[in-house]
Amino acid sequence: VRYSPALLEHFLNPRNAGLMREPDGVGAEEYEGCGDLARFFLRVRDGRVSEARFQTYGCGPTIAAASAASELVTGRTVDELLSLKPQEIEDAVDGLPEDRKHAADVVAGALRAAALDVLRRQRGGDR
Amino acid sequence: MSRRVYLDHNASTPVHPEVLAEMLPYFSESFGNPSSVHGFGREARAGLDVARDRVARFLKVAPEELVFTSGGTESDNFGVKGLAGARGRGHLITSKIEHHAVLRACQWLEGQGFAVTYLSVDGHGMVDPDEVKRAIRPDTIGISIMHANSEVGTIQPVAAIGAIAREHGVPFHVDAVQTFGKLDIDVAAAHIDLLSFSGHKIYGPKGVAGLWIRKGTKMVAVQHGGEHERRRRAGTENVPGIVGLGKAVEVRGRDMHEERRRVTALRDRLWEGIRARVPEARLNGHPTERLPGTANISYRGVESESVVLGLDLKGIGVSAGSACTSGSVEPSYVLVAMGVPIDWAMGAVRHSLGRSTTAEDIDYVIGSVEPTVSKLRAVLPVGAA
Repeated sequence: VRYSPALLEHFLNPRNAGLMREPDGVGAEEYEGCGDLARFFLRVRDGRVSEARFQTYGCGPTIAAASAASELVTGRTVDELLSLKPQEIEDAVDGLPEDRKHAADVVAGALRAAALDVLRRQRGGDR
Repeated sequence: MSRRVYLDHNASTPVHPEVLAEMLPYFSESFGNPSSVHGFGREARAGLDVARDRVARFLKVAPEELVFTSGGTESDNFGVKGLAGARGRGHLITSKIEHHAVLRACQWLEGQGFAVTYLSVDGHGMVDPDEVKRAIRPDTIGISIMHANSEVGTIQPVAAIGAIAREHGVPFHVDAVQTFGKLDIDVAAAHIDLLSFSGHKIYGPKGVAGLWIRKGTKMVAVQHGGEHERRRRAGTENVPGIVGLGKAVEVRGRDMHEERRRVTALRDRLWEGIRARVPEARLNGHPTERLPGTANISYRGVESESVVLGLDLKGIGVSAGSACTSGSVEPSYVLVAMGVPIDWAMGAVRHSLGRSTTAEDIDYVIGSVEPTVSKLRAVLPVGAA
């Protein structure tokens, strides 16, 4: 079987898909050459992610990875997101085929970008 | 998952029960080498002869003009390289939407010093015979144009191109892998000199195909060895496969006209159903001059592989028009050559119907496409679509 049951389940029933109003941070990542794109919206309470929503354009694994990652990062601190490894996201969908590893890369990149945006906005608010 | 619907007949087809029954004795009873002089060999040879006669009758050609090969790819390679090799140097004409078996054979020939013109196609994927005419040079040694394209199904005006080729004395190769056994092919009227055909697209086995070579056409062998196939293609013949191909052709001769009407109606039912339900869908390929069972449909803004996966999870087998390999996604070169815009080309899905396809299957597919596409569109970033 090419894709794991966990991956297919997330693909069929994506969690936290869609826009978020007035997020605390937004970040996107595009995978060059492939055109896969992920965008994450974060809501942060007391330094931790209280809600993560996403939008993607890409093959099934990218959609599934984004869905799984949205659950994975909820409850984590913003700093933890900055060091989020693609492998963690891959593990959350029980593995990706060699030629689809980029799904985890693009999702991790979007989440790091969203976390940076949260910090940037917080710094801006302090001034 | 209960219902399973196979709509990928342009990729391959199941072996027809009548074909399988005819093949079986040639695996373990009549297993001899057809080149052997003894009775075992003669039995196998008799099977080959029957198959060759069946294909010859179907194409209305002489049996000795047929060469059996290992697949459509080998037939195309033999057709193009065999023609070029016999002439040593010169110029070939083909189109940008040929199967890779022809395109890459032509590219290889370019590396060997031959010149190749790759003709453009129009928005429906059609080659203009006038462009073929304009491309002919004094040193043109061959023209290779497919009968119908596997991705979008557009049927080329091969008779018009053949007339031009004949007028200029240029041999004409036609890759008919997608049309053989589905549409009538008159090699005499269309002035075709070489015709590639295959078994597994017409309910025969995989690994067997053929090239028809008009008598008198100068060719060199591409594969060297024994004296098989009148010294044109070395290697012990795939006897069960060839027997199966022969039977498949006979069955097609009996069934193809009725099936063509039925499958064309189902193909149109599929497109009409999807068009009525799914916004921003378009049909790629010629509206009428198209393979009976082929409907290539683009969903703007979605990525075709995710549609294929979504339908696969509903038991439906279709194929993606774009392919993501090793992290780089390429829209189909056929759709690009047709000028299909990128955001449509990336969402192209090919449905190819066949003899087992029913109206219920089509309605199930229509009902499955709509939620699959709308769900994928729901997760799209604003502005990506």
